[in-house]
Amino acid sequence: MLFKNRKPNVEEELEWLINELKPSSDILHKPLRLEDKQIELVYIKSVVDGAQLQQIVIKPFFELASEQHVEAYLKSLPNQQDVTSKEQVLLELTKGSVVVRLKDELLLFDIKKVNTDTVRETNIEPTIIGPQYALSEDIGTNLNLIRQRYHKPSLTVETVEVGKKSQQSLAIIYDMEYVGEKVLKQIKSKIESLDQPVIQSSTQLQRFLNGRKRSMVPTMMMTERTDRVVYNLASGKVILLLDGSPTTIIAPAVFWDFMTSMEDNYGLYWVTKFSKFLRYLGLFTSLILPGLYVAATSFNPEVFRVELALSIAGSRIGVPYPSFVEVLFMLIFMELLTEASIRLPKAVTGTATTVGGLILGTAATEAALASNIIIIIVGAVAISTFVIPINEMSFAIRLVRYLLLFAATVAGLAGLALGLIGILMYLVSRDSFGQPYLKLFFEKKKAETATRVKPS
Amino acid sequence: MSRYFFYLVFVNMIANVVASVPKILLEKKSEGAIASMLLSIFLGLALCYIVARFFNSFPGKGLPELTQKYLPRWFANLLLLFIASAWYIAGLITLVTYTFLLKRFLTPDMPLVWITSIFLLFLSYGVLMKTSSVLYTIELVLLCCIPINVLIMFKSYVTPELEWDFISESIMHAYELPSFTALSASTYLLVGGFNLIIFNRFFTKKHKITGKQILFIGMLGIGSLLTTYFIPIGMNGFESVEMIAYPWIITADTLRLNLGVIERILFVFLLLYLAISFLSLLIHWHVAIELYKSVITFKRLTYKGKNLTPLLFIGLFWFGSIQVTKYLTEYQLTLYTSYFYNLLLCSLIGMVGLFWFIVRRAKS
Repeated sequence: MLFKNRKPNVEEELEWLINELKPSSDILHKPLRLEDKQIELVYIKSVVDGAQLQQIVIKPFFELASEQHVEAYLKSLPNQQDVTSKEQVLLELTKGSVVVRLKDELLLFDIKKVNTDTVRETNIEPTIIGPQYALSEDIGTNLNLIRQRYHKPSLTVETVEVGKKSQQSLAIIYDMEYVGEKVLKQIKSKIESLDQPVIQSSTQLQRFLNGRKRSMVPTMMMTERTDRVVYNLASGKVILLLDGSPTTIIAPAVFWDFMTSMEDNYGLYWVTKFSKFLRYLGLFTSLILPGLYVAATSFNPEVFRVELALSIAGSRIGVPYPSFVEVLFMLIFMELLTEASIRLPKAVTGTATTVGGLILGTAATEAALASNIIIIIVGAVAISTFVIPINEMSFAIRLVRYLLLFAATVAGLAGLALGLIGILMYLVSRDSFGQPYLKLFFEKKKAETATRVKPS
Repeated sequence: MSRYFFYLVFVNMIANVVASVPKILLEKKSEGAIASMLLSIFLGLALCYIVARFFNSFPGKGLPELTQKYLPRWFANLLLLFIASAWYIAGLITLVTYTFLLKRFLTPDMPLVWITSIFLLFLSYGVLMKTSSVLYTIELVLLCCIPINVLIMFKSYVTPELEWDFISESIMHAYELPSFTALSASTYLLVGGFNLIIFNRFFTKKHKITGKQILFIGMLGIGSLLTTYFIPIGMNGFESVEMIAYPWIITADTLRLNLGVIERILFVFLLLYLAISFLSLLIHWHVAIELYKSVITFKRLTYKGKNLTPLLFIGLFWFGSIQVTKYLTEYQLTLYTSYFYNLLLCSLIGMVGLFWFIVRRAKS
C-alpha cells in the first residue's frame, strides 16, 4: 500500500512528481513545519478543494501534539487512497488528490474540487410521474445517485480509465447476481481494446464500443434517468458511466427497450397499454405514410376507396412534379426545420419555427408546390416521430423512412411492403452483445435469453 | 414442440392459398378432390409427425450433418443436392406465381423482370441471415398477418354472396376415387415441417410432441383445406370455377369492407399474401442455400475472411428465377407445379425411408 520498503526513494519520488508537473503554474509544493512536526504537501491548486484541504489536513497538523498524532490522524482519514506506483500518484494528482509526505512515506488523499456535481432535472426523457432528477456530470455524484436507488450488496462498480490522453474514469456497474457473464466479458474486452485519445461523452463511447463502422440503429441505450438505470441493473444489464457525462450507457439493448418509457412502469395497466399502442402506431405512421402516399398516388390509386382516391387526386391538381418529388421536398424541409430547432440558440428557435411553419403550411400549397394532403402527412409524420421515447431511435427512424420512401417510389405498394419486411430483417439480423436485437418474447425471460446466469 | 416449428408448418399452410394448390384442386373437382383432401390430411399429419419425431431425436442437427455422418459421402452429397434443388424449385414456384399475380392485379405497368428483381433483392438479404434470424422474422411477420388473415376468412364465411348450394353441389362428388395429383397438391399444405432439415439446427433442446399439438396442426390443416377449396366454389359457382386463373384472388375481390379506408378486400389480400409468400420463399430458399452450402464450399473464394460461395448461389438463384419468369406462361406454371407436387410427395415419402435408415445406423 505504501512505499514502506523503499524508504530512501521517497525524496526521489517527490522530486520526480514535482518535475513532471513543473511547468504548470498551479502546482504547489508546501512544506509545513512546527517544532518537531514536519510534513510536505504536493498538489495542483486548481483541482483541489482549498477549504477542505485547510479543514482536514492543514489545521489538524498545527493543532495535534506530536508527529505520531499527526500520522495516526492522517492514516485514519476516510479519503485516503491506495498508492500503487508513482505513475498512478501522478494521475491522481491531476484528478485532484493531494500527496502528503510524512516522514518516509507518501500518502495520497482525495480532496477534489468538483464544480459539475449539480444534479440536473431530466430534460432528454422527461416524464410526468416518477423521479424528476437526472444525473450530474460528476462520476462520484452519479454513483451516489445510483447506489442510493439500488441497495443490494451484489451491486458492483468497477472503475477503469479510458481515452489514451484524457484518462477519463469510466465506471462499469452491474449486479453480480444477475448480469450475463458473456455480455460483461465482451463489454470489458471491448473497453480494453479502445484506443481513442480523447473520449468526452457517453454517446461517443457508445459509437466506439459498437464495433461496426457503419450502423443504422443504436444497439446500446443512452439514458439520463436513474430509474431506468436501476430498472436495467435489476434485469441484469451492464451500465457504463463516464466521468463528465450526464448520461449513462446501458448494454445490451434490444429494439423494444427503445420503445419503452419509464412511465410505463408507473401508470395504470390499460392506460400504459394504450400509450404503448400509440407509440407503436406512431412508429408505423412515421415509417410508412410518406411511402404510402407515393404508392397510392403514383402506382395504385384504386387501392383506397373512391372518395379518398379522388380527394387525394383533387388536392394534387396543379402540382407540377411527380408525387415522390413532392414528398421528398416537404419531408426534407421538415427535417431541416427539426434540425434547425435543435441546433439553434433558444432565442432564435422561435423565429425559425415560425418562418418554417409558414413555408411548410399554407404558402407551399397556395403556390401549388405541394398538395394539401402532403402537408397533413408531413405534419403527422413529424409528430409521430417525436412519440418515440428514446431520441436515438427516433433519429434512426427518421433515416429509415427515406429507405421506405425509395422502395415505394420504385415499386409501389409491393415495394413498400417488401421494404418494411426488409427493414424488419435488418433489425432481426443485428445483435447487441450476443442478444438478438429484435425478437418476440412469449415465454419466461430465462427460456428466451440463453446467456443469463442463474442467480446463485 | 417449440413454437417456431408451428410457424414453419403454418407458413406453408397459409402461403399455398394463393399458389397453385386451389387451382389444381378445383381442376379435379369432379375427379375426387374431396376424397384426396381427406386422405391428404392423414398422410400429411403422418409425415409431419414422423419428421418432427425424427429430428427431435437429433437435437441441433440438420439433415446435412446427419447424412454426411451416416451415409457414404458421395451419396449424401448427391442426395443433398437433389433435396436442395427441390426446395429451390418450391420457392421458385411461389416466386413466379406471385410475380404473375402482382403483374396482373397490383402493378400491371411494371415489367415482370423488375417485379422479380425487387423480390429477389430483399430475398438475397433474407436467405443469407442466420437461421435464428430467419425464424424471428417469420414469427414477427406472421403475427402481424394472422389478424388480417382471420378477418378475411371470417368475412368470406359470413358474406351473403357465399352460396351454400354450390358447396353442397360440390360435396356430391365426395364419393369419387381420389386422384394422385389432387392428393399431392393438398398434402403439400401440411408438409411445412420438412423444413426442419435445416431449421432443426436451431432447436437444440429436446421437445415433447404431444397428441394435442398434432391435433392442433390437423385442425388447422382441415380448416385451411376446406377454406381453400370450398369458399371459391361457393363464391364463383361450381360449374365454372376452374376457368378462373386465380380462384382465390377473384374470391377475395368479391368481398368488400363497406366502411373501410380500403374498400376492396382484394388489395388487403394481395398485400397480406405478399408478406406470407415472401416468408414461404424465405424459408424454402434459406433451406436450399444452406443445403447447397453444406455440399459445395469453395475455400479459395474468400474476401476479408468471409466465404463468398453463398453469394455465388444467390447469383445462380437470380439468374434461374429471372429466366424462368420470362419463359413460363400461367398455364405452364400450373401444369409444371402439379408435376412438381407429385414428384415432391414421392420424394418426401422416400425421405421417410432415409430417416428410418439413419435412425437404424445411429442406433447401431
